[in-house]
Amino acid sequence: MSPTSFLFTFESGPDLPTPRPGQFVNVAVADDLTLRRPFSVAGIPAPGRFDLLVEMRGKGTRALAEKPVGSAVDVMGPLGNEFTLPDAGGVSLLVAGGIGGAGLRLLAQELRRGYHRIHALVGARSSEGLLNHVFPAPTGDGEVLLEVATDDGSTGFHGMVTALAEGVLDEPDAPSRVYCCGPPAMIAAIADITAKRNVPCEALLEEMMACGVGACRGCVVATRSGYKSVCSDGPVFDTRELVLEELVRA
Amino acid sequence: MPDITTRIGDLTMRSPVMLASGTVGYGPEYEGIIDFAVAGAIVTKTITVEPRVGNAPPRLVETPGGLLNAIGLENVGLTAFLAEKLPEAARLPVPVVASVAGTEPAQFEQLAAAVGERDEVAAIELNISCPNVERPRNPVWSDAVAVAEIVSVARAATGKTLLLKLSPNTSDILSVAEAAERAGADALTVANTLPGMRIDVERRRPALGNTTGGLSGRALMPVNLALVWKVAGHVSIPVVGSGGIGDTGDALEFLAAGATAVQVGTALFAEPAVPSQIAEGLRNYMGKNDVASMDELVGMAREEKRVCAETA
Repeated sequence: MSPTSFLFTFESGPDLPTPRPGQFVNVAVADDLTLRRPFSVAGIPAPGRFDLLVEMRGKGTRALAEKPVGSAVDVMGPLGNEFTLPDAGGVSLLVAGGIGGAGLRLLAQELRRGYHRIHALVGARSSEGLLNHVFPAPTGDGEVLLEVATDDGSTGFHGMVTALAEGVLDEPDAPSRVYCCGPPAMIAAIADITAKRNVPCEALLEEMMACGVGACRGCVVATRSGYKSVCSDGPVFDTRELVLEELVRA
Repeated sequence: MPDITTRIGDLTMRSPVMLASGTVGYGPEYEGIIDFAVAGAIVTKTITVEPRVGNAPPRLVETPGGLLNAIGLENVGLTAFLAEKLPEAARLPVPVVASVAGTEPAQFEQLAAAVGERDEVAAIELNISCPNVERPRNPVWSDAVAVAEIVSVARAATGKTLLLKLSPNTSDILSVAEAAERAGADALTVANTLPGMRIDVERRRPALGNTTGGLSGRALMPVNLALVWKVAGHVSIPVVGSGGIGDTGDALEFLAAGATAVQVGTALFAEPAVPSQIAEGLRNYMGKNDVASMDELVGMAREEKRVCAETA
């Protein structure tokens, strides 16, 4: 999908319940690593199959990438809660920063399956990290819009994806709901932008996890009602619930 | 099939494989994932008198062969535990050991009395060794007199089987173990995590919100195994081995060193089937090696036991 991100398709058969947009799987990537690695389910290409979109960052992601095609992989899931899908009408704004596109890919597919209009904004440091292909291709009729932003201006809008979002939300016929996934600073900015305009917004959070089921309390995020487990109370949160200063600090 | 039933005080367990405090929550979080029916007991998240919110994130960082955690005893507090969490845990097909921690002896007394009078509680583990909560300069776990006081008041407060979880971070674990035995502890869990830290050099700050955390996982295994060896040779109450146990081989080493039972924790994160694998692995080992009973297995690497075996 980009020079450092790869799409893996897994054959799960009927044993794994069909993941919902926002849910993740906890993958045993290597015997010598203490923990599994959580990845958002990034697509369902066919019944009994699912996609993961993985950026090469460290030992765990490299171990997964180095597995030969056809390897058996031990996966726990699907885990966590899911995005709230819109009833009907209106436009959904999807804002993805960096590998955050992985967390929104299944949502975009699901929204299109329901013929919802989507406007996707994709940001990255530079064109190399852009994951614009994770979203459905733009259509001429305005049903699917896609814009990209890079910090260095190498492709699309020169600046932050959050600036694009602000512009879109101030247009007439602005999106009625926002979904976002990306770095904490981006999520905090989108939360702020949507709160000021009173637009509902959900964020998919990423966190280091141990158990993946809410037992160890290792992956908490600060919310207005105390620390919540990203793995079992999330990973999808209403951004109005998040304590943004703490999200950025952590 | 060899019988691996294990007894510690009044706690009778189907297998010597217990699930360590802090790693399985209150139990139900892992329902349908861990096969509780093969485990000896679950040890709950540590309960304190008042609820605790725990430490600021990040709370986890992986290390080679291990894991640093700094949860900070986040828990619902005694009242909610008794009203909500304990009845839920008791539905699981496994004995429940309640882990408790106080900031002073009177709190240990209160906690032991309150959880001890509940039928759902099979035993109590006193946690004096969490490295992630604020401590005075001399931690209680290194102080035999302070530990004896905690055990004495808890002992007076309940007739339930009392385990005491020791810290590996002490220069004289034997004095503490001895004092605990004399004060009425029924068993010693050896041991908790070791303090450690990592630094995030890109952000120029400690990797954990709490600066330091407790090291668990396979890296800890030989450290705590040596402590089990030492403590089991010194006290006459049962020792429960804990620290980086990830498979049958690790469990066998702890049992051979003199542990009556073992606790698995961090290994569950990668492989929730570890308790069943170890229970089955122990039976296979005993069958293949003509080990007739858990009594014969426990301490089989110790000299006093080896002499018995040779002269038998």
